Amino acid sequence: MTNKPVSTIRTILTVSKKELTDHLRDKRTATMIFLLSIAMGPIILMGLGYFIGSIEAKAEKKEIYVSGKQHAPELVNFLQRQDMKLLEPKADFRELIKQGNHDAVMVIPADFSDNFLTGDAKVELVYDDTRQSSSGASVGVLRRVMRAFNAEVSAQRLIARGVAPTLLRPVEVQDTNLGTAAQRAAGLLFIIPWITLIGCVTGCTAMAVDLAAGERERGSLEPLLMTPVGRDALVLGKGVAVSVYSLGIAVLTLIGFALTLKYGNLPAIGSVLSLSAAQYGMFFLMLLTFAPAMAAIQMLLATYGRNFKEGQTYATYAIQLVAILPAVAMFAQLKDATWQLFVPVMAQLMVITRLLRGEPTDLIHYLLPAAVNAAIFVVAMVLIARLLRQEKIIFGRA
Amino acid sequence: MIEVRNLSKHFGNVVAVDGVSFTAPNGQITGLLGPNGAGKTTTIRMIGSLVEIGGGSAAVDGHDVSQDPENTRRVCGILTDARGLYARLTARENIRYYAELHGIDSARSEATIARFTNWLDMAGIIDRRTDGFSQGERMKVAITRALVHEPSTVILDEPTNGLDVMTTRSLRELIKRLKAEGRTVMFSSHIMQEVAALCDEIIIIAKGKVCAQGSTEALLAHSGRSNLEDAFVALAGIDEESLSAVSSNAEKAA
Repeated sequence: MTNKPVSTIRTILTVSKKELTDHLRDKRTATMIFLLSIAMGPIILMGLGYFIGSIEAKAEKKEIYVSGKQHAPELVNFLQRQDMKLLEPKADFRELIKQGNHDAVMVIPADFSDNFLTGDAKVELVYDDTRQSSSGASVGVLRRVMRAFNAEVSAQRLIARGVAPTLLRPVEVQDTNLGTAAQRAAGLLFIIPWITLIGCVTGCTAMAVDLAAGERERGSLEPLLMTPVGRDALVLGKGVAVSVYSLGIAVLTLIGFALTLKYGNLPAIGSVLSLSAAQYGMFFLMLLTFAPAMAAIQMLLATYGRNFKEGQTYATYAIQLVAILPAVAMFAQLKDATWQLFVPVMAQLMVITRLLRGEPTDLIHYLLPAAVNAAIFVVAMVLIARLLRQEKIIFGRA
Repeated sequence: MIEVRNLSKHFGNVVAVDGVSFTAPNGQITGLLGPNGAGKTTTIRMIGSLVEIGGGSAAVDGHDVSQDPENTRRVCGILTDARGLYARLTARENIRYYAELHGIDSARSEATIARFTNWLDMAGIIDRRTDGFSQGERMKVAITRALVHEPSTVILDEPTNGLDVMTTRSLRELIKRLKAEGRTVMFSSHIMQEVAALCDEIIIIAKGKVCAQGSTEALLAHSGRSNLEDAFVALAGIDEESLSAVSSNAEKAA
């Protein structure tokens, strides 16, 4: 009895259904990947929130360490009027500052009051500027209060001599920061799309490699290729399966971020950054073509592999590229440019960062990367199907 | 029916198959007998369109392998030595996957699976995941998978390799059953008794060439020997020494 030909669509569905069932039954791996994906958001955002929060807290600190308060009642009086709380430093503060265990200290010498009226008074600021986390950050507060003190005293002295204090300030400087709070946050929060994109690629590597190199290693490729199913339909079915898996991981990662932003107690981040449902939707749309492209590249690289290990080694290069490209762009301080839309990863990051910064996006920002991804997917699938016609690939290279 | 005309294949400088011609008719068991590396597997892989035909032609049920590989695969059920199963799927799921790829509805594939489960004594394993299956259990699943689309032509490459006595017996029964159903059955082996016991027609291959062809009786008469093993050595024109040389050559080629 001759069996009727099966439609390509049905074959693709059969193959992808089987591959997804097969891989989801690897409960340990699947659970680990899914849990890690969803935990990524909370872990990253909590860490980031703590980091940003501690920097802001330092900058707005109202506590300063002053040694030798009794020598400068005028200064102490001024500081107290500024709502500053004066703390007594520890005895061995110089050593502690060097170790990064003590905030910056203002040292008032014993002869301060005697020299104050003649204009020869000095204070010493002790800090270590290699310790950003402790004394390096808090010395700024000390400098600021001393500038204010100097300004007040000199103004008083000029007024006493009948001179207008504005003489000392020929130009008044007024700060106008155009960066919005959301933009400042976006600088750091581009880590959300970055982590999501990396997750999208790393999460499906094992599956991509298994579908290519693993099938041959298991000895199941040969019988599979002897079914009447066309190579193209077979490869496409596998491509669809890996893409769906990869997209699932990306969506879980995004859910992790979304839940953390919404319900996590993150005053430093939550106040400035909240993504709208539309923004998540846009990002998902971008992933819809990104995930298949990355899945296809890894499958292609893995098909060249002689075995699972070799396939995995090749696929790792794709992951490294995804991880490194954004870092390169960040360090090179690349400005948004059209050519980046042609480079996967960079394109997605650029567009999502614009979304996060509240900057406008055009249709081309979505269509161009999608077209590039689609082209990558199709070319990779065609190449894999072609490779599967080569005896060297089917039976493994000698 | 399998018709092979002047089939050839070389890998680099090594000639694996060199002008092989034979016909395996319906309702008959044809044995491909030859030493390791004689070209049996390459011949079978060419018929299954896994390996491109180097020269000559092969056709199954009138479908030319080179011109129409998809229809050839549709009428062929081939079991090679690659018998890998998906470890996280049950035996039934492994088989059903292939049935779906062949476009067979589940009622028909379940009926076939039930029949093979009965024939090959698989009731205890059919709904177990194949992880940890013995070699015999794997072979039973693999052969059911290869034949789930009820092909008119069945080709088995060294099917009894590494199997215990009981499994070998049930496999022999299956081969006889397939013949009784009117299918073309061809299997390769290097085990004389097996070939002698089962085959209607034996094709002896050595060094990529057909050395002799005929029934067991015809081959014995032709060679003037009393048992098939002696006949095989005489007809293949090989002594022990050149036989091992052929094997090592072909292993390199594969």
